Amino acid sequence: MSSPVLTIEHLRVDFPEVVAVSDLSLTVEAGDVCGLIGPNGAGKTTTMRAVSGLQECTRGSVKIDGHQLAREPEELKRRLGFMPDFCPVYDQLTATEFLDHFARAYDVPDRTKRIEGCLELTWLTEKRDALCEELSRGMKQRLVLAKTLLPDPQVLLLDEPASGLDPLGRIELRKLLLHLRNLGKTVLISSHILTELSGFCNTAAIMERGKLVMSGTIAELGQKMGRRQMSVKWRNAGGHALNILKDAGVKNLEPTAQGATFEFDGNADALDGLLKTLVVEGVRVTEWRGSDDDLEQIFLQSGAKELM
Amino acid sequence: MNLTENPIFLTQKRLTHRAGVLAAILIAALIGLSLLSGLIAYLADPRDFNFQSPQFAGKVFYGWVIGVEILVLVIGGFSKISKVLADDRKAGLWDSNRLTPLKPEAIVAGYWLGSALREVYMGAVLAGIGLVIVILAKLPVTLWLGTQVLVLSTTLFFGLLALLAGMALQRPQSGIVLLLPLFLLQMFSFTFPKFTIINFLLPIFGIVNLFQDPARAANDFNAFRDWSSWPEIFALPVPPILLSLGLQFALGIFLWRAAVRKTANPFQPLLLRWEAMTIFALLVVVQHGLIWGIWRGQFGNPLSVYLQHPDRNEPLLSIVHGGTILAGVLILALASPLPERVRVEALRIGAGNLRLVFSRSAVSLAIALTAVAAAASLPHFIFSFGHSGKAWALAVGNLLAFFLMFSLLLEYCRLRFKRRALGFVALWLFVLCLLPFILAGVFSSEALAKLSFLAPGTVALSGTTSNGLKYLAGWTLIHFCVVVLLLIAWLRQWKLLLATPLPVPPAR
Repeated sequence: MSSPVLTIEHLRVDFPEVVAVSDLSLTVEAGDVCGLIGPNGAGKTTTMRAVSGLQECTRGSVKIDGHQLAREPEELKRRLGFMPDFCPVYDQLTATEFLDHFARAYDVPDRTKRIEGCLELTWLTEKRDALCEELSRGMKQRLVLAKTLLPDPQVLLLDEPASGLDPLGRIELRKLLLHLRNLGKTVLISSHILTELSGFCNTAAIMERGKLVMSGTIAELGQKMGRRQMSVKWRNAGGHALNILKDAGVKNLEPTAQGATFEFDGNADALDGLLKTLVVEGVRVTEWRGSDDDLEQIFLQSGAKELM
Repeated sequence: MNLTENPIFLTQKRLTHRAGVLAAILIAALIGLSLLSGLIAYLADPRDFNFQSPQFAGKVFYGWVIGVEILVLVIGGFSKISKVLADDRKAGLWDSNRLTPLKPEAIVAGYWLGSALREVYMGAVLAGIGLVIVILAKLPVTLWLGTQVLVLSTTLFFGLLALLAGMALQRPQSGIVLLLPLFLLQMFSFTFPKFTIINFLLPIFGIVNLFQDPARAANDFNAFRDWSSWPEIFALPVPPILLSLGLQFALGIFLWRAAVRKTANPFQPLLLRWEAMTIFALLVVVQHGLIWGIWRGQFGNPLSVYLQHPDRNEPLLSIVHGGTILAGVLILALASPLPERVRVEALRIGAGNLRLVFSRSAVSLAIALTAVAAAASLPHFIFSFGHSGKAWALAVGNLLAFFLMFSLLLEYCRLRFKRRALGFVALWLFVLCLLPFILAGVFSSEALAKLSFLAPGTVALSGTTSNGLKYLAGWTLIHFCVVVLLLIAWLRQWKLLLATPLPVPPAR
């Protein structure tokens, strides 16, 4: 098991007239991609800003790789890359000049090479000499991501990275984020559009009205929910397989063309047992898919809404 | 960090050049060359002009150059720096820069020295043409050097003010509006050029002093309207250039500290309490030092040189009293905490009691500022305390009542009316300070004027109403009663705030 790179303990952020984040504790381990999920106003951006040091905390602590934000802010700045939910760029600079500004600020060694590398990583090499104001929203987002990646930070905080992007921009960003995951970056990414994060995050934290409702790996969260949305396909079974499922006590059983969907209350072992029963009973199972990687389902079942 | 390696400075330079500087430089050159050609035309054929001598003509044309330089560098520079910073703040670039390992000092220096480069280029062109005018008119080069040093120093000083305006204000153009009262005060201060600190903070006296013709000034000497001799601080003559540079440097240090502190953490206050007190002390001590020579410790008995204009010396201390109130109010307003910030701090340290409120509130600072002002004004009375000490005591009492009233009122309105607080503060200040004067004018009643919170100290220090001091003391006591009422309301509001828990965000 890898050690936590980002540790947030009992974080509380007060705004003049409201508690924005209350007693939030969260750890993200090295190489994890953690989705910070919640509706608008849940406190995701405030949490991100507090972790980056842009927002003053009332209480609590933030540590990155053992360095505490309150005591060693300079160390944290070198280890952290923060990408806000908008595109802060100098409109009258070219993409290369913009990156050069931040490469100098971070004192990045071998600046030119690193800038070229980041432009290539974000598919902006062709736009290197274009003014920032000439770039599309998606390109600006990628440019800001390139800027965030310049100092090769240990932890990336990405706040609603796909907000305001058109479908093509979202697809490009998604590819890019998958690439970052493959590079082994530790990422905390927030979004209220859950389909954006599905298939990309391996852990998630659900926030509602400033509080952390639950967190863990996607599988753990699915188990915590107790009821999983399952989908099964078979070749030869038909009514026999449906009867086995009914006998097993599944809920909301819906036959489909070559199988069925259902909800299952039991734990992972019980689910394995059900699959075994189907196979022993001669059902030729061609697909057995749990929706425990579906963040939307987890969020909807988390009870977050019930806190309202 | 070297400025040539400072990414903020380099980027600002790049942005300035990309926007184009040639047109601005040509405009400056056109203005400067027009003035230079005027001088050349005069030197070629003096009969067509009304100037008494080439030197006089040179001073007139160079004076215009300096005027345009001040306009470009001080006003234009202030406007540009505050706009750049406010725009970067809105765009999120300020935060992006703050998240880099750059030191706050480097960020501040980059914006300070890099944002208004176009104006600097224009100023440099004008300064160069100014030098040619000075040489052609056979004026001393010290005139050029002295004026340029003062313009440069003022540009840097106002640049720091612009940084703070850009950091603190939502709309950058409102920063320039803040300067208007300063320039208005400057105009009034021309009546007593050598005796008002504002003529040295904005280095008008230093510049005009360099342009003065000593022989001409000696023939038409007026102790109060004297621009040609050096100012005195507690009767010690000080070169006006040094006084201006010293004041701007000393205050500039605090502005720099505030800018760096705000860059490191925007949630920090603009002024720490000790800084607020030091700035206030510096201003009032220098101001009282400047006028100390009129009475030399015997308030009411001015030196003979000032007796020629008895109508002029008498209100001077009253005017300074009014200025002290204005400076104090500005400092109290800047140092007064937002109540919600105090509540958050109370939550953080887990002490939601009134002791924390007192330690953060501007009320305690009001008492400290009064003590500083009292100490600074005391030297005017040291040799005549027996007969003028009561006026001093009354002025100090008036200052205390006013400062307490203002800080309590400001914090009470912030607690009670939140976003509308400033409107209510303005309303109550109008009612308590200005309305009595208006009513006094309408009903031709001097007694009504004395109702004003401003009246007791101002009247007592005018030196004309020694027999009315008892009456003024009575009004001061009534003012203190108002302060007590405000204190009760203020305490009640604080207790309410500290007892109310913060709500969680509304459901979406």
